Amino acid sequence: MSKPPIITARDVNVFYGQKQALNGITLDIPRNKVTSLIGPSGCGKTTFLRSINRMNDLVDICRVTGEIKIEGKDIYDKDVDVVELRAHVGMVFQKPNPFPKSIYDNVIYGPKIHGQIKSKADAQEIVEQSLRRAGLWDEVKDRLHESGTGLSGGQQQRLCIARAIAVSPAVILMDEPASALDPIATAVIEELIDELRKKYTIIIVTHSMQQAARVSQRTAFFHMGDLVESGATKELFTSPQDERTQNYISGRIG
Amino acid sequence: MTEFLISANKPLRRRHASETRFKWMGRIAIAASLGFLVVMLVSILTLGIGAFSRTEIALAVDLGDGDASSKKIVRNALFTSFPEVTSRAERRQLLRLPSADASRELDRQLAENPDLAGQVATLWFTASDDIDQLIKGAIDTDKPQDQRRISDQELAWVTQLQDLGQIRKVFNTGFFTSGDSREPELAGILSALMGSILSLTVCFVLSFPLGIMAAIYLEEFAKKGRWSDFIEVNINNLAAVPSIVFGLLGLSIFLGYFGMPRSSPLVGGLVLALMTLPTIIIAGRSALRGVPPSIREAALGMGATQVQTTLHHVLPLALPGMLTGAIVGMARALGETAPLLMIGMVAFIVDIPTKITDAATSLPVQIFLWADSPERAFLEKTSAAIIVLITLLVAMNLVAIILRKKFERRF
Repeated sequence: MSKPPIITARDVNVFYGQKQALNGITLDIPRNKVTSLIGPSGCGKTTFLRSINRMNDLVDICRVTGEIKIEGKDIYDKDVDVVELRAHVGMVFQKPNPFPKSIYDNVIYGPKIHGQIKSKADAQEIVEQSLRRAGLWDEVKDRLHESGTGLSGGQQQRLCIARAIAVSPAVILMDEPASALDPIATAVIEELIDELRKKYTIIIVTHSMQQAARVSQRTAFFHMGDLVESGATKELFTSPQDERTQNYISGRIG
Repeated sequence: MTEFLISANKPLRRRHASETRFKWMGRIAIAASLGFLVVMLVSILTLGIGAFSRTEIALAVDLGDGDASSKKIVRNALFTSFPEVTSRAERRQLLRLPSADASRELDRQLAENPDLAGQVATLWFTASDDIDQLIKGAIDTDKPQDQRRISDQELAWVTQLQDLGQIRKVFNTGFFTSGDSREPELAGILSALMGSILSLTVCFVLSFPLGIMAAIYLEEFAKKGRWSDFIEVNINNLAAVPSIVFGLLGLSIFLGYFGMPRSSPLVGGLVLALMTLPTIIIAGRSALRGVPPSIREAALGMGATQVQTTLHHVLPLALPGMLTGAIVGMARALGETAPLLMIGMVAFIVDIPTKITDAATSLPVQIFLWADSPERAFLEKTSAAIIVLITLLVAMNLVAIILRKKFERRF
C-alpha cells in the first residue's frame, strides 16, 4: 500500500447505556477505495459507520471510547467541531431522505450552510457538478426547481448522494444505500459508487454480499459487535480466515 | 363440492351480523350528535335572529322652538300625535312608547342634518323594548292584560301607529356598533367583541411564541430524562386544570401582587395565555414529533447545527400543525368565561374599550350577563351574541383548516 489510510480506528468501543454494541474495533480505511462493512443484523456495522461522523452523538445514552483518526486527527478530541467534521464526512442513509424542497435547494443546502458559496454562478456551478457526479443531471436539469420528493426512489437516493458530495467531503458514508431500491436503480447506484471512489473514500454498509463483492475493494465482516475479519474483498470472499466469516458468506448464518 | 365458499355456517354469519351491528351503532352515534348540533343551532338562530332587527316609530317633531330641550320636543310630538290622551298616568305610559334614549336620537339626527331646525319633520325613533317585542310577535296579546307587559291601551296606540304606517322594522346596526346598555333595545355587542379581540390578541402574542419555543426546546434540544419527564407530566396536568383556577391565579398574582388594572383585557389576556400555553406546547410537540426523523438526520448529516436543522427543516414542516393547535387553543380561550369572572371582566361596559388597559368584558361574559337580565328582550340579545360568538369560532377553525391545507407539505 503506497498511500497511508485515511481513517484509522483503534480499539473503538461503543456503548448504548449499559449495553456494549462494539467491542474494540481496530480498522484502517484506505484512501479512494470502497470499503464495505458486512455482517448479520445487529452486528454493529451501522453503529461503527455512524461513529465515523459522530451521528451517534445524537443518541443521548451513547458513549464512544477509543480513537478514530481521520487524516491523523482524532475526531473525538474535545477541540473537534462536529459540524466541521460532517462537512468532511458526508452521509447517505438507508431510506432516501431528500428535504421537501426543490432539487436545487437540496443540493445547495450543504454548501450554503458551510459558507462555500461566493456568488450565484458559484452555486449554479456546484449544483450542476454535484448532480453530474451523481449521474442525475441529465434527468433533472429541466426541473431543478421542482420538489426533490417528486423523484423516483432511485433518483431520490442519487439526489441524496449529490447533496452529500456538494460540500466536497473526503469521505462518504453509505448506510445500505440501495436497500430500498429495485434492482435496476440499485445497479445505477452501484455504478455510481464505483465512479465516485476516484474522488472520494467510500464506506458502505450492506446486507447484500453480492453488492459488497461487486462494489468494494476492501471488506470488513462484523459479528456480534466484533470485527471478525477484514481484508481485500476478493480474498475475504474466496478464502475467509475465520469460521464465522466462512459461515456467513456461505449463507449458514445471518 | 356445492357447499364450497357458499357459507351457511353459523359462526361466520354471526361474525357478519356483529359487524353490521357495529356499523349501525356508529351511524346512530353520528346521527345523534349531528341531530343535537342541528337542534342547538336552529333554536339559537330562531331565538337570536330577532335581535338583528329593530322596531322604529315615526313621530312628527316640531323643531320650531330652538330653546326647547330634545326631551320636551319628543314629549310634545307624542302628545300631539295622541291628543285624546290627557290623564297623567296615561301620558306617562305614552312616553314609554319610544326608547328612553329618544331625546339623544333626536340630537344625533339634528347634528347630522342641521337643515331640520325650525321645521316640523317626521323622524324615526327606536321603539322601547316592549313595543319591539310586541311587533316581533314575542308577546301573546290573547292573554289578559295583567299577565303581559303591554297594556290594552298601549296595544291600541301601537295598532293606531301601525295603521298610519308610523311603525317599521329596520336592520339593527346599533347591535354591532354600540356597547352594553340597561335598555335592551339599545344594547350592543361591540364593547364585548372588542374586549374579546383585545384579550385574545394579548393571549396570542404571549402564548404563541412562548408555547412554540417551549415545544421546540423540549422536543428538539432537551435531553430526555427524569427532568424532561417531570416537565412533560406537569404540562399535561396544567392543560387539564379547570380554567377558573387560572382565574384565581390571575386575581391573586396579576391583580393582587402586580396591581394591574382590574377588568382589563391585559389581565384577561394574561390569564387566557396561561390557560392556552399548555395546549399550544402539547400541540406543538406532537407536530414536531410528526416530522420524520430522517429529515433531521439528513440535515445533521450535512453538518447543519441543531438550530439550523430545526429552523430550516423541522419547523417549516411542523408549523401547520403548530398553527392549528394554537388556533384551536385560541378558540377555546375565546369561549372561556370562568377565569374572566374572577378577574373582574364581568363589568357592565358601555364604552368601547380601545386599549388593553381599559375596562372591558368579553363575548361569553356578555352572554352570561344578558342571560341573567330580567327583560324579555334580552333573551334574543343573548342568542344573537351566541350567534356572533359561534360565527367567530367557526371563522377561526376555518382559518386553521386553510392554513393547514396551504402549508401542508408532503414528504
